[in-house]
Amino acid sequence: MNRKLLGLVPFLIFIFLCVFLYQGLFGNPREIQTGRLGHTMPEFSLPDLMDSDKIWTADSLKGEVYLMNVWGTWCPTCIAELGYLTELRERGVKIIGLYYEQAYDPDFGDQFDINALRQDVNNMLSRAGNPYQFNILDLERTLALDLGVSGAPETFLVDKQGKILLHHTGDINERVWRTKFAAIYQELAQ
Amino acid sequence: MKYVIVLLLMMITAAAQATEDKYNFATAEREQTFRELTHELRCPKCQNQNIADSDAVVAKDLRDKVIALVNEGQSKQEVIDYMIDRYGYFVHYQPPVTPATIVLWVLPVAIIILGFGFIVFRQKRAAKKQDWNAADEQKLTELINQYQRQEREQ
Repeated sequence: MNRKLLGLVPFLIFIFLCVFLYQGLFGNPREIQTGRLGHTMPEFSLPDLMDSDKIWTADSLKGEVYLMNVWGTWCPTCIAELGYLTELRERGVKIIGLYYEQAYDPDFGDQFDINALRQDVNNMLSRAGNPYQFNILDLERTLALDLGVSGAPETFLVDKQGKILLHHTGDINERVWRTKFAAIYQELAQ
Repeated sequence: MKYVIVLLLMMITAAAQATEDKYNFATAEREQTFRELTHELRCPKCQNQNIADSDAVVAKDLRDKVIALVNEGQSKQEVIDYMIDRYGYFVHYQPPVTPATIVLWVLPVAIIILGFGFIVFRQKRAAKKQDWNAADEQKLTELINQYQRQEREQ
């Protein structure tokens, strides 16, 4: 009797490994959660993309539920999601853009042409739809680093107290919104 | 002539070697800390590269941040904690010991102990089985005699 049970041990280990590895098949390695989840928005002080004199801070964003969408005109997936995000805006969702400039590297003494960028952004938004209340320009990607952003597009859901509740890597579409955002957003917006 | 050209081309490619970025540090220890950190921190964009190895924008940003923090005099662990605060445990190649990951350390050791335990258990049981009495001795002598007789007769 005892011997039979002992003989089962390798089989049980095998079953355990099967279950363990099977789960791994469906994990998404690109789904990286920021370490900031559940914490408040990190402190920052960055200019508006369209008006360098206007400075946005973490405090100035408090008081409303909003999505912070990290994007850039260089990023095809970001362009693809502009349409759906614009739909969300029309449904009353407040979306703030965090403009992630990929090409700029101060180490190379890059000359940055803000007017060309504004022109580029305006062209893109008038063509693909404008979901943004406004855009924050994070030229040196400091806020992006503080948020644990690894690329674009990425989206954060932030509540009225400035707490980060969701972090989504990749585009937002109908399916993602319904499965991941809708329930929490409805609860917060009430 | 063709061979000469080919040979020359081969020499040119051999000269094109990978160069690593050069950074300036106040002390040799800080440079050492920077090297260790960039090999231990994982690039969030490219999955299986460390930030020293990757050319992704975010890897460059993380390298620059590591330099800045090391130059401020922060320790290795402080820099690692800074990165984990932002990018989660993903960013460090050394996973933390938590209830969810403890199995990574326990399972290999448990399997080795179990295996050795099994060997010892089996040997002990095999040894215990050999109880030998006079009847067995008698039977053995008979068998030996029998075979010896057979061999002599052949």
